[in-house]
Amino acid sequence: MDFGHYAPLWGEALLTVLAVLIVLLGSLMKNSGKLMGYLSLAGLAVAFGLVTSNLIIAKPAIFFFGTISVDSLSQFFKAVFLVVSLLVVIASLSKYTGKGAEDYYALLLFATVGMMVVASSIDLVTLFVGFELASLSTYALAAFDKSKKNLEAAMKYFIFGSVSSSLMLFGFSLFYGMAGSTRLADIAAASLANFGPATLVALLFVIAGFAFKMALVPFHMWAPDTYEGAPALVSALLAAGSKKMGFAAAFRVLLIALIALRMDWYLAFAILAAITMTLGNLAACWQNNVRRILAYSSIAQAGYIAIGFVVVGAAYGAAPVTSFNGIAVPAAQLGIAGALLLVLGHALMKTGAFIGTAQVASMVAGKGQDTDPDDISNYAGLSSRAPITAFCMLIFMFALAGIPPTAGYIGKFVLFSSAIYSGLVWLAVLAILNSALSLVYYLRIISYMYLKKPVGPKISEPKGYVAALVLTLIAVIWIGVFPQGFIDWALQAAAVLLPQ
Amino acid sequence: MISNAISLMIAIPLLGAVISFFAGSKAKFVALIASFIPLVLSLQMYMEFDKTSKMMQFVESYTWVPSLGVKYTLGVDGIGFPLLLLSTIVSILVIIYSWGEHNKPNQYFALLLLNEVGVLGVFTALDFFLFYIFWEVVLIPMYFLIGCWGGPRKDYAAIKFFIYTHVASLVMLLAIFALYFTYQLPDGSRTFDMLTLLQATSDKTVFPTGLLNIIFAGLLFGFLVKMPAFPFHTWLPDAHVEAPTAGSVVLAALLLKMGSYGIFRIILPMLPSVDKAFVTIIAVIAVLSIVYGALMALAQKDIKKLVAYSSVSHMGFVTLGAVAFTWMSIQGAMFQQFSHGIITCVLFMSAGTIQHVVGTRVIADLGGLADRMPKFAVIMMAGFMASLGLPGMSGFVAEFMVLTGSYATLPVYTMIVVFLSIAITAAYHLWAMQKAMFGPILKKYMDVHDPHAYELFSMSMIIVLTLIFGLQPGLITGMMGTAAYQLMEPVMTLSQMGVI
Repeated sequence: MDFGHYAPLWGEALLTVLAVLIVLLGSLMKNSGKLMGYLSLAGLAVAFGLVTSNLIIAKPAIFFFGTISVDSLSQFFKAVFLVVSLLVVIASLSKYTGKGAEDYYALLLFATVGMMVVASSIDLVTLFVGFELASLSTYALAAFDKSKKNLEAAMKYFIFGSVSSSLMLFGFSLFYGMAGSTRLADIAAASLANFGPATLVALLFVIAGFAFKMALVPFHMWAPDTYEGAPALVSALLAAGSKKMGFAAAFRVLLIALIALRMDWYLAFAILAAITMTLGNLAACWQNNVRRILAYSSIAQAGYIAIGFVVVGAAYGAAPVTSFNGIAVPAAQLGIAGALLLVLGHALMKTGAFIGTAQVASMVAGKGQDTDPDDISNYAGLSSRAPITAFCMLIFMFALAGIPPTAGYIGKFVLFSSAIYSGLVWLAVLAILNSALSLVYYLRIISYMYLKKPVGPKISEPKGYVAALVLTLIAVIWIGVFPQGFIDWALQAAAVLLPQ
Repeated sequence: MISNAISLMIAIPLLGAVISFFAGSKAKFVALIASFIPLVLSLQMYMEFDKTSKMMQFVESYTWVPSLGVKYTLGVDGIGFPLLLLSTIVSILVIIYSWGEHNKPNQYFALLLLNEVGVLGVFTALDFFLFYIFWEVVLIPMYFLIGCWGGPRKDYAAIKFFIYTHVASLVMLLAIFALYFTYQLPDGSRTFDMLTLLQATSDKTVFPTGLLNIIFAGLLFGFLVKMPAFPFHTWLPDAHVEAPTAGSVVLAALLLKMGSYGIFRIILPMLPSVDKAFVTIIAVIAVLSIVYGALMALAQKDIKKLVAYSSVSHMGFVTLGAVAFTWMSIQGAMFQQFSHGIITCVLFMSAGTIQHVVGTRVIADLGGLADRMPKFAVIMMAGFMASLGLPGMSGFVAEFMVLTGSYATLPVYTMIVVFLSIAITAAYHLWAMQKAMFGPILKKYMDVHDPHAYELFSMSMIIVLTLIFGLQPGLITGMMGTAAYQLMEPVMTLSQMGVI
């Protein structure tokens, strides 16, 4: 067997082996200390290096009988997933150590591998397997601290997750029945329209399945409860990583396999996007629990990202609308690129914000208070209690609201402009107004952190959290100040989904 | 002149802000140096400024995000340069005035410097994208200045300030986007270049009047709120009353000028191409602001609120002069914004000094302070005289020019109303002065004394400036005249302007 042939997949292989190794080592060693954390960190860093050394791929490499494709798009998503996992592991170094930690890191690695498989799959069955690998690992992670709240969160997440998986699988099976193949390319080639209403039913199931994962209204109910109840670092992984996996899958399935049905799903996504961002932002204004605020904010962000689908549906195959450096760019490509940039930006900002809440929760937890550790009152005067955390949170909040120059605005800018170019001015204006509305609750968190009197003395900030926060902060600002390279990268990745 | 002078001017306070944040109690020295260098640079620029040139001067332009048409372009002309000079002068004087700040001085001075960064950027940015970034950057330090160092209702005032002006800037942003998305360069790409876009607005084939009217209204709204003009002024009294003295000074002297700068830089070049009804609307708003501001000031019990409303009234002259659209009135309006910028400093500093020396700002509770604070009383008197428009000081020249210039184009009853309000202006200034400072001294104030030397120094420097510019307005009106001439050029011949 020629291992060199599989070089583009070494990252996945490495992480799988490492995860198994960690479980084995953990059961052999009495007390592993921080070893497991560092091992996963090293593994993820190597995998990240492998992916980023090969970001732009001119000709997709196809593996395993046409089920896995390594192309610019898969590399984009893999980079996002690996960054999120890396940051989560860095932050976890201060929390999950010693006996039992091996399970945590192993599950986290398995979840990452699952997401990476989803990013690459061009076959419905492979995609589903990746999906389930990531989901099952995160179900367990959501209950990892074994508190009552954890269990409730994990239970909800599990039930909703498995229902959505089965809906999706059912939809897949219908498409398999129609096309006679599970390959995305074969489904695209089959004339689905001949099957009449059955295609619509199948499409409905598939969209519902994805919408659960992406937490689009009305399939979003699980998200606030789960993000609130799961361990904060796991919430970071869920909101920033596993949710983006839903987008990775939906991009491939809808834009490659089901592009012929775009007139059907385009309208559905237009409505879902409009309702999701508005409801998400409105609901966030009334929450008192910071993690619930972040959960609703990430629902709203999912609404923005979903604009990408609408734009593709509306502008597929249309003539280029603008030119970048003399190269004509169609609105559809711009829409996907914008959605990808927002995926990247949001993944970073949300990871950062959830790590921040983990930090605050860990400070409060030591006090033995029985109040809710994520209540916004615990953030009062955070700027003098934990200045680094507070400052990072401040920037993440502004970035989430889309204030330049941060990673938050660049994705929104590209995405909303693509909506305007494709004639969806109403959607763009609604999205911009929503961004303004979102500032209300972000500002509320900021005013608690900076304007209120501190509720306790200054606290030392654990190094792991601080390192993760500062790294995220640098990334968020870097993307905002030097966006050109990221825009080009996202455009390359977007081109994979469109006919050349 | 060293190259990149403007960038350097923006970078130094930014660097200073970072250093002073970590400098603890030494922050004030850092702030002094970091605001002194831009002052020297701006004076040097003044020496080299070509007052007769219609071109942008000291231009720097670099590509930033080429694919979005965003450039880093800075430059000044007769519209921007006086305000740049104003910003560097006011910033250092405010820092000197605040020398005795003990509450978290490192953050306080850092925020003042950040404010300087923002306003310098706004007055020099020639790219709409960059302009918007600086426009938003200004909000953040002011929000914290009000929220952290403010009076009893600081939380409310800070949030109101932020939301109100942020919504206004979003409306402005939408209008900017409309410009950006409508206009295409010959090669099909888009640009944010301010001068290119503004020039394009006169092209009826690109911007039909209906569309341009909407864009114009959006931009106008953004600027009128910032100025603020009646009826969009309600955030101002709250923000001023709660803000610390330095915050009020910066707010009135510099932040309000961002709005009026927008009027000259963006609104006036578009004015000839939009519906003529806008002239009437703006003129009505201007007159209402003048009269309403004066009447409200007359009714105030709090001396600081009185000064705040006087700002609304004085900024009305800027709008009036601008919209009257004669060579003299535009020049006068530009001079009025410069002159108001310096005069208002001394008024707010007086109110602040009274507050911390006496402990109250309620006019009815004051009396005879001149007895115990002779030096302060002289300076305050001079400031109030300048504000009410005493000949020999800059305020008189400015208002004289506005009214003389406006007489040619605006209906005569406008003038009558405005002249009446000048009488009211004199009334509230004299009444407040007489009540607070003169008359028999109240027993409880027997042991008050003149404020610190640094406060008196800042205030007296401003009085000197009002005298210099009052007696020799040509120092700065030369370049304003050139700018006004250029604004008029597209619509009138030289003889119509009264130049020859």
